[in-house]
Amino acid sequence: MTHSLDLTRRAFLGHMSTGLTGVALARLLAGELRASSPSGPQFAPKAKQVLQIFCPGGASHVDLWDHKPLLEKFHGTPMPGGETEVTFQGKNGNLMKSPWAFAPAGQTGKMISTLLPHMAGHADEMAFIHSMVSRTNTHGPGCVAMNTCFTREGFPSAGSWLSYALGSLNDDLPTYIAIQDLRGEPPNGKANWGNGFLSAQHQAVSMAAHQPLRNLARPAGIPPEQERATRDFLQLMNAEHAAAHEGHDELRARMAAYELAAKMQLTAPAVSDLSREPAHVHALYGTGDRNALKAAYAKNCLLARRFLEKGVRYVSLYCASRASAVDGLLNWDAHKTLQADYERHGPIFDQPTAALLTDLKQRGLLQDVLVVWCTEFGRMPTHQDGTSGRDHNPDAFTTWMMGAGVRGGVSYGATDDFGRRSVQDVTTVHDFYATVLHLLGLDHEKLTYYHNGANRRLTDVHGHVIKPLLA
Amino acid sequence: MKSGFIPCAPFFGLIMATGFAADTADVAFFEQKIRPVLVEHCYSCHSADATKLKANLYLDSKAGWEKGGDGGGPVIIPGQPEASLLIRVIQHVEADLAMPPKKPKLPDAVIADFVTWVKIGAPDPRDGVKLVAKRGDASWWSLQPVATRFPHRSIDDFIEAALAAKGLQRSGEAEPRALIRRMTYDVTGLPPTAAEVAAFVAAQRADSDGAVAALADRLLASPRYGERWGRHWLDVIRFGESHGFERNVINDDLWPFRDYVIRSINEDRPFDTFIVEHLAGDVLGKDNPAMEVGSAFLVAGPYDDVGNQSVEAQANIRAATLDDIITATSGAFLGLTVSCARCHHHKFDPIPTEDYYRLRAAFEGVKHGRRVLATREERAAFATAMAPLNARKAQLTAELDALDQTIDSRARTELGLRTYVRPKIDPQQTVESFAPVPARYVRFTIRAFTSNPKTGDGSRAGKPGTRGAGRLTEFEVWRAGAGARNVALASQGGRAEGARSSVAEDFPEAYGPQFTIDGLFGEQWFIGNPAELTITLAQVETIDRITFSNAKGLNIEEGQARGATPCEYDIRVSRDGVAWQTVASGDDRVPWTPEHGVERMRRAVITAEEETQLAELEKQITDVQGEINRVPKLPQVWAGTYTEPKTATFVHKGGDPMKPGEAVAPASLAVLGHVAKAYVLPPETAEGQRRLALAQWITAPDNPLTPRVLANRVWQSHFGTGIVDTPSDFGFLGARPTHPELLDYLAQRLVAGGWKLKALHREILLSKTYRQSAAYRETAAREDKEARLLWRFPPRRLSAEELRDTMLSVAGQLKLEPMGGPGFRLYKFTQNNVCTYFPLDTHGPETYRRAVYHQNARASVVDVLTDFDLPDIALAAPKRANTTTPLQALTLLNHRFTLEMAAALSARLLRDDPVASAYRFTLQREPTARERTAALNLLATHGVESFCRALLNANELLYLD
Repeated sequence: MTHSLDLTRRAFLGHMSTGLTGVALARLLAGELRASSPSGPQFAPKAKQVLQIFCPGGASHVDLWDHKPLLEKFHGTPMPGGETEVTFQGKNGNLMKSPWAFAPAGQTGKMISTLLPHMAGHADEMAFIHSMVSRTNTHGPGCVAMNTCFTREGFPSAGSWLSYALGSLNDDLPTYIAIQDLRGEPPNGKANWGNGFLSAQHQAVSMAAHQPLRNLARPAGIPPEQERATRDFLQLMNAEHAAAHEGHDELRARMAAYELAAKMQLTAPAVSDLSREPAHVHALYGTGDRNALKAAYAKNCLLARRFLEKGVRYVSLYCASRASAVDGLLNWDAHKTLQADYERHGPIFDQPTAALLTDLKQRGLLQDVLVVWCTEFGRMPTHQDGTSGRDHNPDAFTTWMMGAGVRGGVSYGATDDFGRRSVQDVTTVHDFYATVLHLLGLDHEKLTYYHNGANRRLTDVHGHVIKPLLA
Repeated sequence: MKSGFIPCAPFFGLIMATGFAADTADVAFFEQKIRPVLVEHCYSCHSADATKLKANLYLDSKAGWEKGGDGGGPVIIPGQPEASLLIRVIQHVEADLAMPPKKPKLPDAVIADFVTWVKIGAPDPRDGVKLVAKRGDASWWSLQPVATRFPHRSIDDFIEAALAAKGLQRSGEAEPRALIRRMTYDVTGLPPTAAEVAAFVAAQRADSDGAVAALADRLLASPRYGERWGRHWLDVIRFGESHGFERNVINDDLWPFRDYVIRSINEDRPFDTFIVEHLAGDVLGKDNPAMEVGSAFLVAGPYDDVGNQSVEAQANIRAATLDDIITATSGAFLGLTVSCARCHHHKFDPIPTEDYYRLRAAFEGVKHGRRVLATREERAAFATAMAPLNARKAQLTAELDALDQTIDSRARTELGLRTYVRPKIDPQQTVESFAPVPARYVRFTIRAFTSNPKTGDGSRAGKPGTRGAGRLTEFEVWRAGAGARNVALASQGGRAEGARSSVAEDFPEAYGPQFTIDGLFGEQWFIGNPAELTITLAQVETIDRITFSNAKGLNIEEGQARGATPCEYDIRVSRDGVAWQTVASGDDRVPWTPEHGVERMRRAVITAEEETQLAELEKQITDVQGEINRVPKLPQVWAGTYTEPKTATFVHKGGDPMKPGEAVAPASLAVLGHVAKAYVLPPETAEGQRRLALAQWITAPDNPLTPRVLANRVWQSHFGTGIVDTPSDFGFLGARPTHPELLDYLAQRLVAGGWKLKALHREILLSKTYRQSAAYRETAAREDKEARLLWRFPPRRLSAEELRDTMLSVAGQLKLEPMGGPGFRLYKFTQNNVCTYFPLDTHGPETYRRAVYHQNARASVVDVLTDFDLPDIALAAPKRANTTTPLQALTLLNHRFTLEMAAALSARLLRDDPVASAYRFTLQREPTARERTAALNLLATHGVESFCRALLNANELLYLD
């Protein structure tokens, strides 16, 4: 923290400080919360932060990550045993090969779709889980489950659990930030980063390059001197009130909250100011791309790196949004026209995400940051009746992890010959988050919170750490 | 709230402290050779600390192995290792049972030690320890009958006795200002006025008890009481006004239920009846909307209405829908977590999984949806008013159809005479060439799309239009001559204008006409009304060709998925945007279908007289439709619809609806079988009668849970924390009552008083316990920091609603009338297939109502309310969180709402003494000299609004003593 920043802050706060440093303020705040956090890992963590990249809409495993040569061979023929299957939108047609070839990537030769040439460059560091299954075939509950392990709303997201379990790594930014796509919120919106029954401070704060933190800025028309004088007067009132209320810690905590808010007002705009990045970094991410959606996502990727650098505990980064009036327009939900849809979504995702991973690695941030890539379910290997798209497939999809504590170049689990079902080392979202918590030094069976009759866990009553993914 | 890791250390400590039973040498053998192995290899599944106790067998006490597990009988027979199950399983000689499971066999030396230990009689020093209950059974405290004889006669006596047991004392009477503020907020959720405070202070000086009683009576008689206590209840029953899940559609027809709750509570209607109405108001009050509306409780929770074709998914969604009703019912009324028994018997409470499905059987006929709630007379009056209008509309429509048919028939004849040579339009790409013409503007006017021959604007009364059906991905305008290129492109400076049929407010580019000139064949323009595209070129160009596409490069199936394509159209050009010249038309192409041709010919054959007649008929139909629209609709409420279940209710094995187990009858819950009179209904019982029977059982005099749970909620509303700290869980994992006898006393008073809440409130409000000071005492705090024993009144923060209502109230902006009606919104609601809720930066005067009337949507975030812990009502929130965050500070300092309230407060201050005036409005007291000086300084330099902004942020405004 620089001297000048300190001075600015003091100018901001006047002489009203409680006399505590930022961290002490944060502790005071945390200590005040009677639902006291377990505070801190249970054993030595491999990772301290999480970057979650979420492609909502059911990003197709067989068109991105899960190479199925037999799908090519049997293209246009009925899927054995699947002729009469009715899935989310109805009947299905014959097997349909991916419109894109797969090519070997990296030292491991991992087969990755040529739709994602930049991402292929990270194949050696990624640990794929090809055998994911979901309990729902519907986007909203699926996205919520991929974040909370429950298809119903009302349960805390993984980021909220980590905020609750580990607390903050900084004193002037939120602990958990959800960065939404320019195209809008993902299916089920805010339920994806909600605190559920944990207290409200554990919910994600919503920010993006195109959307600053709400209510952050001093209102237009209130000059700095007036702001300072107003806060001074408030401080005087609160100090006298607190003095007359011995033993009432909440009052001091709330005074501390005002000081932290002032710090946030200085820090958040600075962190969000992408103009501080050099041109070559902007070029790496593609923030100036003529495709406005790609440029917007690239900016969000860059913003995510800046948040992680500043010690934000959990960053959720969304690439695409909800179901719109047209399937597959705003997200990866390619029901009717897979090729046209993914030719839009693929390039938006590919370069900026790959750049973010490269940048994190170059800066040494992958020592601490666990990167996870999620979607809510996969897609059918067949085409949907009467279309050249694919319907939802909750029985098979791919996710991957990378970074702190993760063994790169691993492919765990497998689907059947066509990618219809996960058949080997079938993995649930509970296993996924048991592993995430393990990497953060937490036993998923011991991180609990009592609510309405149960000691709740992120992983419900399921989940096993996926050991082969661990470095 | 309990939290964190499951504690394990204390229990072990207990074991260590009690081991004096066996011979010292034997004990040493046990401690050195046996206990460490048990701890390492067995305790994780067979001890009080086990996350999941396996086979119901404890090996962490002598009593545990003596009692044995599910298999029955002791697992160790002292002196007989070969007959001891424990030895046999570690020796791996028992079929199908080898311990430890999934791990290598224990070393032979260790097994030999165990054999030796059993041979010498299995000395175990852990025999002073009783088996610690891992779960509740029928003897659980909350499942016992409510007591009828009590050791004390008043609330204060119960409290004093518990305090005395800890050497504590109640505090003295609160200072009058603190007391009236506390009580006014508590009962009404609003601050008192300065005048009310002054009057109370004076009255209290004359007659303390009388003044408090008068105050309590005044507050309980105020309609504000129902608004405050109604809000508590709405939290308990997970009331929310959007459906949640993926679509999260807003619900505009549930507010009558909210008004019913507030009205019922204000009228102090007996709460047992109120509960019965929640579950079966439609049965009890047929054709009596005021009572029927209560059953909206059943469908007030989240509801997944996404269309799902998969049978398995449909069954799961239905199961989840009923699970919400089961969870809400058992939690709100019984304080039981019956939903934990959905997949297996409850792990902690004596609730068999059959109980869960007994509840399901009661609700099997409930479906989410709207229904008309009206009296018989209202229905009859409506039918009478509608009949002549409907008849008139039918007659006019018939006349219109007849006229249309004569025109169509001539058009069909005419069509037979025509021959078209130009091909049909092609959804992939259609080309229109014409003689070179200079143009700055090109206008594409669409009369019909491939999906429907009728006119493009779909405006014809009674005729289906094509509005919203047509799309276009690209519209190209080609420069004439050798350097032919598309000059319409945005990259060439072109501009496209046209209405769109769909809007995504969070993604403004979506569906827009700009996609027709982006050079790409992906995103489409969704053609709106009027169906017309106007391209403005960067400058005047000589052009000789246009092309338009909807599905370029796609096969037929894909093309269909891209939506309808324009097929009847004119193309006009203009240099100046004033004078237009038609350069091409679809009129000479082969019609897309014969019907398209007929429609085209109609334009040729229709007479002026017919056009007039058509217009006249259309106008008359519009008029009668207007009259129909003006007849007041019968009120529709989201109160659910009911149908008789087609099949019996089955237990779902493992909670999986695809795995039906045995059938379950609609019946009372076995968990209360030993205390409340049971019932079993025949399987064919009508679904309404099932709900009624359940409701009557829940409110029966011998059901101990319902009055206890309700009395505890009332207590919680006054003291911040209930006698049981887990208000919707009176089971094993819930908290134990701090004052069990007092809880029963209150429950019994509630029932004896005819289930009326106001009497109970009054008794509490008048108690010395309630009236005592909130002052802190170090010595008492050391004993009881949270004041659960009530040695002082626990100070508290205002709730989200109280804070917003207070700001409006002290600023003189709060509109109390009319009460009820449709809610206001602090978000912008948008729907584009799914719904999105955007928090508003400005809260207009239409939102200056009590926050209980906010239309709380699920998964939405609104300023002030969400910041201050308004719960997202996906699940019931029987107890509010209380957080302190920097984001609260940012909102309360910077949101326009604060600034507007500060301005409004400023405007109502006394000119000659604004400081004192502001303190009276906001805090109902005079400023101190120091405060006055500081305030005057601030006022003088930065104006009165900055002073008011600070006051609205003050802790003193937000906290109550």
